[in-house]
Amino acid sequence: MIITFGLLSTFFALVVGILQWSGIRDRTFADYAVANRSFDARFQAMSFLNTWYPGAIFTAFGGMAASVGVTSLYLLSYSLLTVVLMYLMARPVWIWGKAFALNTQPDLMALRYNSRDVGTLSAVLGIVSGIPWLVLGMQALGTLFQYLSLGTLSFSNSVIAGVGVITIRQIWTVRMGMRGVVISDMVQGIAAYVGGTIILFGLISWMVLAKGITFQSLDARMFAIPGVGSKEGPLYLFSLILTGAIGGWCWPVIFVRLFTADSVRSLKKSAALAVPLSFTFAGALLVFGMLGSKVAGVPSHPDDVFFIVSQEAGGLWLLGLAGIVVLAASMGNIDGHIQATGAQIANDVVGQNLRLDQAQLIVMAKSGMLGVTLLSAWLACLELPALFSIAILAYQGIVQLAVPMFFGVFWKRGNKQGAMAGMIVGFALAVYLELIFPGYLPWAFGLTSGVVALIVNLVIYVAAAFLWPHSRDEQMRVDALFALANGEPLLPVAEKTARKPA
Amino acid sequence: MLMHKGRPPWVSLWFIGDAIVALAPPLHWAVDGAIHPILGIPAVVFYFIVVGTIISASIMAAYRAEASSGTLER
Repeated sequence: MIITFGLLSTFFALVVGILQWSGIRDRTFADYAVANRSFDARFQAMSFLNTWYPGAIFTAFGGMAASVGVTSLYLLSYSLLTVVLMYLMARPVWIWGKAFALNTQPDLMALRYNSRDVGTLSAVLGIVSGIPWLVLGMQALGTLFQYLSLGTLSFSNSVIAGVGVITIRQIWTVRMGMRGVVISDMVQGIAAYVGGTIILFGLISWMVLAKGITFQSLDARMFAIPGVGSKEGPLYLFSLILTGAIGGWCWPVIFVRLFTADSVRSLKKSAALAVPLSFTFAGALLVFGMLGSKVAGVPSHPDDVFFIVSQEAGGLWLLGLAGIVVLAASMGNIDGHIQATGAQIANDVVGQNLRLDQAQLIVMAKSGMLGVTLLSAWLACLELPALFSIAILAYQGIVQLAVPMFFGVFWKRGNKQGAMAGMIVGFALAVYLELIFPGYLPWAFGLTSGVVALIVNLVIYVAAAFLWPHSRDEQMRVDALFALANGEPLLPVAEKTARKPA
Repeated sequence: MLMHKGRPPWVSLWFIGDAIVALAPPLHWAVDGAIHPILGIPAVVFYFIVVGTIISASIMAAYRAEASSGTLER
């Protein structure tokens, strides 16, 4: 226990030491919320990965690979497709962000639809949907701490210990805002995805060479994916990949990465830097999980596959290093989530109702982050049997932001009526269907509740665009926005019309 | 529809191809349970690796093309 927790403590101290040494002081809300758009491609790439792959990826997807096999590889497809979306959105979103000082995803929605209501609605959906996932992320640390304690701590005490550590870590997130998040993402990302990939390849080699485990050793059922005749339905895998790829950008914590880069070039270069690392890391994790299913102890505890195989292959030292990898990934995701939520509370909820100056906005964001941290920490220590189901509900709901967001960025005709109605109906329908048919809809060939609701959402959005065409002024404003994104200069008259809504 | 003028058409086509190979259900059904080896890897695993390679290559190629043509600065 001294070895495992000693390694973990050393890494934790290293991250905190780097943050202390960086001596960040935020002067404006843009500093605090998006680090004043100052990061190059390397920081952007690592920050994206450290947010995209939480620590729970090792337990949830590692466990899925160990228990059901190749279906888990859908993680690879959607995680890479989402980088394509990042590449496509980079230019318009970054340019609008820079030109109109946008700090959050709801800021962009409000700008595009010329409606603060659209921004506030998307902020509320994002904040509410994010809480269950934040709680799950904190609880996942319980699994880590219990394993690293070598069974000394009970699960409930492990959760309390894990929540305690991640709550202490938030002192620096609250103090240092986005700049602190991105700087720590670099350290944590190197540990989690570079270090993690090296460990995973080492463990795969160990299983193949020392244990003789290969793909040929696995049961045939490990190579089945839900297809025609499966109980889930033939479109189930399609639904998972689609909602995974587009849903990622609906999370405020992921979307805000588009505002922290110092240029469009950095953003696109970060996509090119992140994608090979993402491919190698996720591919290695899933192949590792599949092969790990043949290691003793894994079939009965598939979620612990990373810890079980690490300990068997390399003893307590390797188990401790595996713990660092999972902790590093967890910290990146949770820190980013809390920071983005705090910024939205200040900017898009409170800031819409009260006129706040820069200093007050920062104080409000810090207060929001503190409140979210304490609320999530408290919930994480409770026994909430329905938490995972609520998180799935939340995911199917938040995916509904995809229609106004992607169509708003790429299609001029969309309007605020369609955005509002589509989001509200889509969210409500997704939640309703998920409650009635959890997982997938048997009568819809395996489509998930989120995809069916997305179709309805899209129909409403497109219908509204044709039923209520833009007024002449609004058309000029939207034309000016799109011209700006295409590299054309913003004329003074257009600058006036394309402004952020008051 | 917003189409950035500086992006080569083949990049857009490649991105569309990414979506098709990753999402098309008939491809999923075709590889379901396929364990015959391709380059020593079960076909269904090979499919996902090929999809990942195609998508990763598309993004790196798109960046190289846009960076070398100078369109990222505009």
